[in-house]
Amino acid sequence: MRPHLRAVPLTDHKQRETILHIDRLSKVFHLNSGYLPVLDKISFEAKSGDLICILGKSGCGKSTLLKIIAGFLSPTSGKVVLNEKPVITPGPDRCVIFQEDVLFPWLTVQENIAFGLKGKKQDKNVRAEEVARFLALVGLSEFKDYLPRELSGGMKQRVALARVLILQPQVLLMDEPFASLDAQSREEMQNLLLSLWKKLSHTILFVTHDVNEAVVLADRILLMDKNPGRIREEVRVDLPRPRDREGSAFLNVCKRLNRALRD
Amino acid sequence: MVPADKKTVNTAKWFLPWVIPFLLFCLWWTVSATGLMPAYLLPSPLSTIRAGYAYIFGQPGEGPYAGRFLTDAGASLLRVGCGFALAVAVGLPLGILSGRLWILRKLMSTSVNALRAVPGITWLPLALVWFGIGMKTTIFLVALAAFFPVYLNAAAGAGQVNPLLLQAGAMMGVRRLRGTFAILLPGAMSHLMTGLRLGLGISWAYLVLGELTGVPNGLGAVIMDARMLGRIDMIVVGIIIIAAIGRVSDQLLQGGMRFCFKSARRMG
Repeated sequence: MRPHLRAVPLTDHKQRETILHIDRLSKVFHLNSGYLPVLDKISFEAKSGDLICILGKSGCGKSTLLKIIAGFLSPTSGKVVLNEKPVITPGPDRCVIFQEDVLFPWLTVQENIAFGLKGKKQDKNVRAEEVARFLALVGLSEFKDYLPRELSGGMKQRVALARVLILQPQVLLMDEPFASLDAQSREEMQNLLLSLWKKLSHTILFVTHDVNEAVVLADRILLMDKNPGRIREEVRVDLPRPRDREGSAFLNVCKRLNRALRD
Repeated sequence: MVPADKKTVNTAKWFLPWVIPFLLFCLWWTVSATGLMPAYLLPSPLSTIRAGYAYIFGQPGEGPYAGRFLTDAGASLLRVGCGFALAVAVGLPLGILSGRLWILRKLMSTSVNALRAVPGITWLPLALVWFGIGMKTTIFLVALAAFFPVYLNAAAGAGQVNPLLLQAGAMMGVRRLRGTFAILLPGAMSHLMTGLRLGLGISWAYLVLGELTGVPNGLGAVIMDARMLGRIDMIVVGIIIIAAIGRVSDQLLQGGMRFCFKSARRMG
């Protein structure tokens, strides 16, 4: 069995090891008009298999935080450590699902998913099997020869998911990936993500401004404040899964978070 | 609008490009048959076709131009081929690099934009002094003229590739070299294609310019030679042949690119 397929018991926090350390991360942007502090001493840790939502209003620096963890931006101070190695550049151990569609428009669904495997030395048949397996996991087997421009927004994000999951990243970084989808597709994608997470048990950092989405998905919600962006509190969501989006316990958590976001 | 069925559309796509050439031919025929323009200004279609037939299929020695086509076309193709290949070999990598590296872009900007403003024909006297009459002068002119569209479009294409695509590549563990060939070039493909097509088109223009200087063979040389001998029908034959070869070479270029690159096939 492949290591990433091993079922990690999700309730057992003690046995899972901490893999990601975010240590007093600050970021200041230099603008023409002066300095703009965007992030202020952000610290948290993630255990293997955690699903953490970073929730905040637009402009609180949550996307910047994700970009730093991804290695696209470097922090002004502080550091990101993954598996005891400091993060400096982007790499396949931390894969990003972007908000907009960044599939390669000249490659078919299948070729997009196989893209990251190309550099690896691997038997052709094994690779084809892998691609077929991930196509099936995101429910796109019938669409393998389509080009991205022929797909709906939800399907494009499924391809985006499959092409990074196939690389078996340690951490999946998701930057409001479902924000531009319609309500139905968004709910579908949330359910898909949860079922994939259950099967593959990746560590996921999920940035969103949508309270409902955060409560549906997360074990832990990091609530962010802006000017400068900082973590205001951490909310643990212990609702049983699958979560009932209309249940009173669910709505209570939402209500509380909404209130916290407002002031 | 009435929805047209696919067959009608396909037929239209096939014949629409030929409507204007056909009308021009009719106009030519009428003007020359009615005597509106005398034969010493505009040869009749029939005499032109005869001249063209002799030029292409005749045996050498049957007439002044009989059977020269293959030699002339071969010489011209070689010149265009070398000049254009030189322009691509320099312009394409340089353009792509300056699309990505602002230092190179700035370094090149004054020179490229100033030289671009100089009409290619201005180089002719200098080229004649440097290279003499013949092959080298023509190749120099062709390469110089084709360089600018190739370079400028490659730079624009490489510059406009969505940076998120490159980021996505980086996070999937794609290194620079592979990123260039697997992401940058396909992402810039439609621009690269435009540059190559414009470059090849202008190559034919400068080929004729280079050959007008008195080289013994080549399509441009035939035209110039025919003017001096008063064989106006041969001038028209030369023009039509250059038009035809130019069109075919453009299609071969497009077809070749589509054959070789997925991105040209799917994005072009």
